[in-house]
Amino acid sequence: MPQVPTPVPSAALARFPAEVLEAFQRYRANGDASALESVVIAAAVDYRPAGSAPVQAVSDTTRLQADLGYDSVAVAELVFFLEDLFEMTITNDDIMAVGTIGDLRACVIRKLANKSAGA
Amino acid sequence: MNPVVTGAGFITPIGNDRPSVEQSLREGRHGIEHVEFLGNPDLPIKVAGTVKGFDVESPKWRDWSWPRGYDIPKDVLRALAPHGVYAICAVEQALANAGLLPSDVADDPATGLYCASAGSAMLLHHNIAQMRAVRGARGNPLGVVSSIAGTLNFNLSAHFRITGTVCGFISACASSSHALGYAIDDLRLGRLNRAIVVGAEEMNADTLLPFAHMRALSNQADPRLASRPFDVERDGFVGAGGAVALVLEAPGTAKKRGARALTVAAGWGQASDGFRIAASHPEGAGLRLAMERALADAGIPPSGIGYVSAHATSTPVGDSAEAIAIGQVFTTRGLRPPVGATKGLTGHTLSLSGVMQAAFCVLSIDGGFMPGNPHLGVAAPECAGLELPRGTVAAAPGTILSNSSGFGGSNVCHVFAAPAQFTD
Repeated sequence: MPQVPTPVPSAALARFPAEVLEAFQRYRANGDASALESVVIAAAVDYRPAGSAPVQAVSDTTRLQADLGYDSVAVAELVFFLEDLFEMTITNDDIMAVGTIGDLRACVIRKLANKSAGA
Repeated sequence: MNPVVTGAGFITPIGNDRPSVEQSLREGRHGIEHVEFLGNPDLPIKVAGTVKGFDVESPKWRDWSWPRGYDIPKDVLRALAPHGVYAICAVEQALANAGLLPSDVADDPATGLYCASAGSAMLLHHNIAQMRAVRGARGNPLGVVSSIAGTLNFNLSAHFRITGTVCGFISACASSSHALGYAIDDLRLGRLNRAIVVGAEEMNADTLLPFAHMRALSNQADPRLASRPFDVERDGFVGAGGAVALVLEAPGTAKKRGARALTVAAGWGQASDGFRIAASHPEGAGLRLAMERALADAGIPPSGIGYVSAHATSTPVGDSAEAIAIGQVFTTRGLRPPVGATKGLTGHTLSLSGVMQAAFCVLSIDGGFMPGNPHLGVAAPECAGLELPRGTVAAAPGTILSNSSGFGGSNVCHVFAAPAQFTD
């Protein structure tokens, strides 16, 4: 019998498009890491400081600082959001290694894998 | 040379701009409304001096809204407390009222910022509860700068790019009077040409309700009975929130750019009761000395005062002490300047109270009227000899003495005068 997914841990995704919420629920239901891409991108676009240029197409190679206008506080806010959403901890060393959306997504996947492995 | 006030901005229970505040003061119209804190209809606190046109009840800035016309970008909002939203609106207004653009004060080392607030109890609680829920593993990275006392200085200095003096003041309900006083001193000493003074407080259960547990708030449900300074049946203050900002300038700076001086900040003084944590000296000893020091600093005898703007919050002990102190400064010399307590209309805005009262004095002097005591029924016996008009007096106040008092017995008084008496 398939396990019933637990409710979304917060209403934090309510402001995102429906497909982001669906992707998150897919990850929650079956651990599909590929579903995380849209969640990470949506969060990264949402937390970019005002004044940074509009983002037409965000991809794995989009840089947080140079392309999305991130400052250190905005990075900390984004990380806090993801930590809360996925109930995990991202360390300062992890953050220092993140330059692009792809780096961030890989970091989240790695952390979640460690979490599910009980590390 | 005494600095001049060239601009004022208002987010208050009685209006969110100068014309509406002035109208409320002239008409004796209060801004106190029914509230139900924490969804509990059984609480004895039924009213508050509410801030209209804002929705900042949520601990999440994404849920907030404010009146149109104010520029508060996302990267500013994320580090603000609810009262910081009020404060930015008040400062924007004050600058516009002074005929200044934000670019005129940005990156100007001769402009300073003097702030007063108690911080955000609501955000402190929310952020710490969030941290404790995960046993310290994570927390809002902007939790500190958005919530601790000082949040106004941090946020406003960065937002308005203030590069002169930036500081904050903590003396409870005398805080923004201290902020104003030290801004005046720095301008007099030539350390700055211009100062922005701002006070702000939140209008929510976390900031206001703890005063009920001190038995300091009124239990009356009728706004006209709840806040009635100097009345024999007063039973406590009505909590209130908002923000007020003043722009002060060295007279030469104001004159050079053709600004209109609304009022002269003619002098100030302070003294402490050194008596109780939360209660005034029964005869207002510190307040009396603070009044005398403010008058001496301004070089004006008590007979030169045409109106007293009282701190009176409608508490039994505080109003009594102030009435006695005012009596000792004026009545014993055969003087009867009208005394008005605007907290009857606004409720008590705590740290914000002093600069809000100062801004009301600016309106009185500039507009030629004196607010009265419209909720006063029978004056308490200690008020014998005081002139307590019920309605607004439609006459120029001349020079005003404005009082404020805070916990620990901090008393700060200011003297404001019409510009013509000091310039040219």
